[in-house]
Amino acid sequence: MSLMRQIGLLLAAVVLLALAGAVGVNLHAARDTLATQIKLKNSDNAQSLALALSQQRGDPALMELLLAAQFDTGYYRSIRLVRADGSAAFAREAGARPQRAPEWFAAMLPIPSTPGVAQVSDGWRALGRVEVVSHVAFAHDELWRGSVQSAALLLALGALAIGVAAAGVNRIRRPLDATVEQANALVDGRYVKVDEPNVPELARLARAMNGMVDQVHRLFTAQAAQVEQLRREAHEDRGTGLPHRAHFVQRLAALLDGETTAGHGTLVLARVAQLADVNRELGRETTDRVLRAAAVTLRDWPIDGALAGRLNGADFALALPGVLLTAQVATALAQALQQALSGIDANVQMHVGAVAWRHGEGHGPGALLARADQALARAECEAPFAAHAEQAGEALGGGAGEEDWHRRLQAALAAQRARLADYPVLDERGALLHYESPLRVQLDEGGPFEPAARWLPLAQRSRMLPAIDLTAVRLALAAIAADGQSRAVNLALASVADGEFTARLSELLAASASASAKLWLEVGEASALGHFELLRAFAALVRPQGVRFGLEHAGHALHQSPRIYELGLDYVKLDVALVRGAAADESVRRFVSASVSLLRAIPVRVCAEGVATGADAQALWECGVQGITGPWASATSAH
Amino acid sequence: MRGLAAAWRAGLFGLALLVSTPWALDAARMQRAAERLGPRAMAAMPSLTALLQSGTGLDDEALLDAVNAFFNRRIVFRDDAEIWGQADYWASPLETLDKGQGDCEDFAIAKYFTLLAQGMPVQRLRLVYVRAQIGGDSVAHMVLAYYPRPDAEPLILDNLVTSVRPASRRPDLAPVFSFNSDGLWNGVGSQSAGDPLARLSRWREVLAKARAEGFL
Repeated sequence: MSLMRQIGLLLAAVVLLALAGAVGVNLHAARDTLATQIKLKNSDNAQSLALALSQQRGDPALMELLLAAQFDTGYYRSIRLVRADGSAAFAREAGARPQRAPEWFAAMLPIPSTPGVAQVSDGWRALGRVEVVSHVAFAHDELWRGSVQSAALLLALGALAIGVAAAGVNRIRRPLDATVEQANALVDGRYVKVDEPNVPELARLARAMNGMVDQVHRLFTAQAAQVEQLRREAHEDRGTGLPHRAHFVQRLAALLDGETTAGHGTLVLARVAQLADVNRELGRETTDRVLRAAAVTLRDWPIDGALAGRLNGADFALALPGVLLTAQVATALAQALQQALSGIDANVQMHVGAVAWRHGEGHGPGALLARADQALARAECEAPFAAHAEQAGEALGGGAGEEDWHRRLQAALAAQRARLADYPVLDERGALLHYESPLRVQLDEGGPFEPAARWLPLAQRSRMLPAIDLTAVRLALAAIAADGQSRAVNLALASVADGEFTARLSELLAASASASAKLWLEVGEASALGHFELLRAFAALVRPQGVRFGLEHAGHALHQSPRIYELGLDYVKLDVALVRGAAADESVRRFVSASVSLLRAIPVRVCAEGVATGADAQALWECGVQGITGPWASATSAH
Repeated sequence: MRGLAAAWRAGLFGLALLVSTPWALDAARMQRAAERLGPRAMAAMPSLTALLQSGTGLDDEALLDAVNAFFNRRIVFRDDAEIWGQADYWASPLETLDKGQGDCEDFAIAKYFTLLAQGMPVQRLRLVYVRAQIGGDSVAHMVLAYYPRPDAEPLILDNLVTSVRPASRRPDLAPVFSFNSDGLWNGVGSQSAGDPLARLSRWREVLAKARAEGFL
């Protein structure tokens, strides 16, 4: 049985009990009152009758008339005149009178009619006594009417009480129902708040439920946010919010295969030139701004269905289904990127390469990306923010990108299609200290000699750096032998670590001892960190041959890693980020001075990289720098 | 709760009365009633007690004489207006003794209850309204009449004529109406001195008082 029904029944029982009790008490009180009134009436009537009878001088006829008149005009059950000896001188009895009250009621509540007695005399003579008994039917009628009325009234009151109680129960039930609804809503994932009712106990319940709903809502929201975060991490590049490589390739594949998408489109690649250098020179924060600006430009590219992504650190991609104006798109994007980046740093450069795809060409996303990579490589050989769109037939055989690169590089090296560029490093007197000699490779026969930025990452992936570095050393030695000028060659750590490379290098150095004395070999400071033993062994191998060994792009970790000085260094080239603006910035000069005094004590020759202006150069000379390279050095040397 | 307790006590009292019927002299109750009334009532108690005790064994006429003489000697006639400050007041026997004064009803009532207390059957006694001729005037008066048998000539106990005489020797009195307490206690036994119903008329009130004083 439900709680509400129990309460309802309890209330009804209480009301009925109270009602029955009230009616019962009321009935008994009324019955007693009526009995008293009848007794008084009997007694008083007997007295007045006796008074009248006593005035009749004992005349039996007159007395009988009086008695009969009293009996007939009144409402009596019996009137008797009893003589002193007990015999009845006169007696009238009335039969049962019709009454409105039912018999059972009269039987249940008998009303006693106490006889009224009075003495009758004639002068001094006692005649007897008169006994008067009134009828009680009228009393029963009265009692019946009263009880019916009071029962009706009390029933009405009871009904009213039950109505009020029902309203009260309803008032309790509504908040309870609301709470149940709230809990059900919670199960369905809806977060419903209920109004707090006025009843304190229920208000506490509602408050607690609301609090719980809030808490659950918070938990769910936090969890959903976490899931969203995980999803973004799984699919998006953290720095820019673009899809990362795997996700982009997946979606590109869907674009290429999709039957609902356009059967053709354009894939554009954009790359930040020398991202590592940019990062070093401008700092991480500015680099991030650059990357974000590029990402925003791609993401907001105003073509429906455009898909932007970040393939790796420097590479962005934009797939434009339905677009075939490949060259125009590439140019427009390059211009947009230039505009976006010009506000951040004028030195940052990007290049754009674009290819078109057509349905049925059977290109997977990998092949398409490889083709776009080639177009990008062509753009990189051109001016900053150059755009290159693949021309018909330009694609190299359609082979997979990496294998193709590997084959082409190997072919170029085998055919000796490589040469060195020369960038002068001047000493404090303005004389040539040595040439920095990066390798240029002619990837395609008869094509341009392309810089390391073009093929270095591919060479690295193809594990061809030792061979390339060996070629560079061989060329440098040959050049030294030819013009007697010192030359510096940059080696990759992978080469230094390669046993075959070091063996071949030793042979080369030994074979041309005089040239070796003018050869400078350097590795990047960043790659040197953590490989002290390797570099120390390498230094110990090459320096006895007269080779000078040094660090390039150095200065960032010199103070943190004192063991660098144990490597056996001949020179150090301070990174452009550390020496730029020496003329204007006191702190730069202080840093350079401190580094110079520290390193010259070892002794190590200190050079500065990337010096662009004469003022900077002058300031750096004053700081004790013993060599300068960069645009200023190139310009000075050319004069 | 107090009402309930009072009702309970009243019920017990009524039950005690019911059990003790027929009622007779209750000396202890009379003593307590006299104490409540005051020192003059107390002072009258020994002689009243002596009167009540002396009645045992006497015949009716000797008893009538003794009681008649006791009250006629002890009580001085005076109007109710002077005694009680009311036009008409029916005093109980002890009240009359306490005051030492009374009018004709008080005499008759005191004698009536004293006789009943001594075991006189109620059917033999009647209080009678009479018209008395005093000098040339007719005055309303009350006397106590004793009927040795229902149809016999009564003996009159009066305070105007101090000796008990048969009715025929009282030509100055013309009876008008007589009454007694016969049948008044009939019916339900709930009546008592505390019953408000008992005080609805002068007669009933004085009956209730007499019972409370132990005469009945």
